[in-house]
Amino acid sequence: MNKPPSWSSHEESLLLLNAYLDNELDAASALNMERRLANDPALRAEHDRLAQLRKALRSQLTTARASDDFRKRISAIAEESPSDNYSSVVVPLPVRTRPMNDWRRIAAAATVAAIVTAGGMYVFLRSNSEAIDIAAIVADHQRALLAAAPFDVASSDRHTVKPWFDSKLALSPQVVDLANDGFPLAGGRVEVLEGKPVPVLVYRRRAHVISVVAVPHTGIEATTEPSLVTTKDGYSVIQWHGRDFNYTVVSDLAENELNEFVKRWREAAVER
Amino acid sequence: MDDRQRFNEAVLPHVDDALSLARWLTGNAVDAEDVVQEACVRAFGAIATVRDTSARAWLLAIVRNTAFTWIAKNRPKAVVTAGDEALFEQVELEMVETQPSPEAVLIEKTDAEHLHLAIAALPQTYREILVLREIEGLRYQEISKELSIPIGTVMSRLARARHLLIQRIGMAGQGKAGAA
Repeated sequence: MNKPPSWSSHEESLLLLNAYLDNELDAASALNMERRLANDPALRAEHDRLAQLRKALRSQLTTARASDDFRKRISAIAEESPSDNYSSVVVPLPVRTRPMNDWRRIAAAATVAAIVTAGGMYVFLRSNSEAIDIAAIVADHQRALLAAAPFDVASSDRHTVKPWFDSKLALSPQVVDLANDGFPLAGGRVEVLEGKPVPVLVYRRRAHVISVVAVPHTGIEATTEPSLVTTKDGYSVIQWHGRDFNYTVVSDLAENELNEFVKRWREAAVER
Repeated sequence: MDDRQRFNEAVLPHVDDALSLARWLTGNAVDAEDVVQEACVRAFGAIATVRDTSARAWLLAIVRNTAFTWIAKNRPKAVVTAGDEALFEQVELEMVETQPSPEAVLIEKTDAEHLHLAIAALPQTYREILVLREIEGLRYQEISKELSIPIGTVMSRLARARHLLIQRIGMAGQGKAGAA
């Protein structure tokens, strides 16, 4: 891809570096960034600073927990209010219009120009390809549910499943045993994503099936960053980066239960 | 599925996240509860418009709008004007120094209190984008949609927010080291 001349500017490097750390770059741009990091000590230093900041934020900031009392008040909203009275309520879009001084208008115009420049960066972002990934992973999960069994190798023993992947794919994702937490291992299967075979672990929770897709991603260390939760076609999808693999979990399980599963899984994977 | 069930599925699981966001936007836990409660009433009113795929980002957008309405009503002086916002956008990302930075060490050792203060001291525009990304874990696309700003702006604000935060933590850390 041809870069506009302005792309060499430092500011744009920083934006790309941030996007890289946020895992928002497409594969080619991420590789490119890795190469630049290896050759540019200043960029490397900035990378380390940002990584430290992230670590500090993730380890020090806790999310709020609603008190039971508050939770009750919130669930009461749906019970008390007859919805008809509210059906015409429109949620306002976040548009803020306020008077501006002339010089500020100029500043705003400069901002707009800056934004237009930055617009060229969309092409480097991975959002689309990632959306396809999730769609593909969910579709595979659905297909697996329609098949006679959602796995190719049936075993609740991780010492059977792990070598099976090893022999089949020459890949060895972490397989953890969560039977004691109520998520017994059911087996494993192979899925083809973007033309490459990837291992999928299958767990069960009551009648629900949980697919854990492990996409190899060499050179990436396991992180403690929070998992990314989305939904697709009613399935909960949770993603995170583990040691050498990017993991995606799909299930029709309630989101909080699936979160619990991911939490236990990651904890168990770290202990190993 | 009736509205109540929809509300239970789309809103209730995200109350903690809504509360976190509201805490950062209003600056305290009591106001945050007021804002979230009001936001949930609005959310219930608009429950028919929610799609399963984006319930969380949808609720957070409502919380954000409610918080701004609430702040404008209860703390008129704290409202960020569009002019200020334009001014913030002008903050330049400064050149990174080439020498290995002592800041990195300071950042790592920063405690929760300093981090909170540093985030609270960020201009509203930067604080909210940082919270949406780092605490709520939204992707660029979701933030772009939620704030109705282009992805390029998400990227530049986030980079600036982090840059400012690193500077502030660095300064606080140095102050502390000097005092000790």
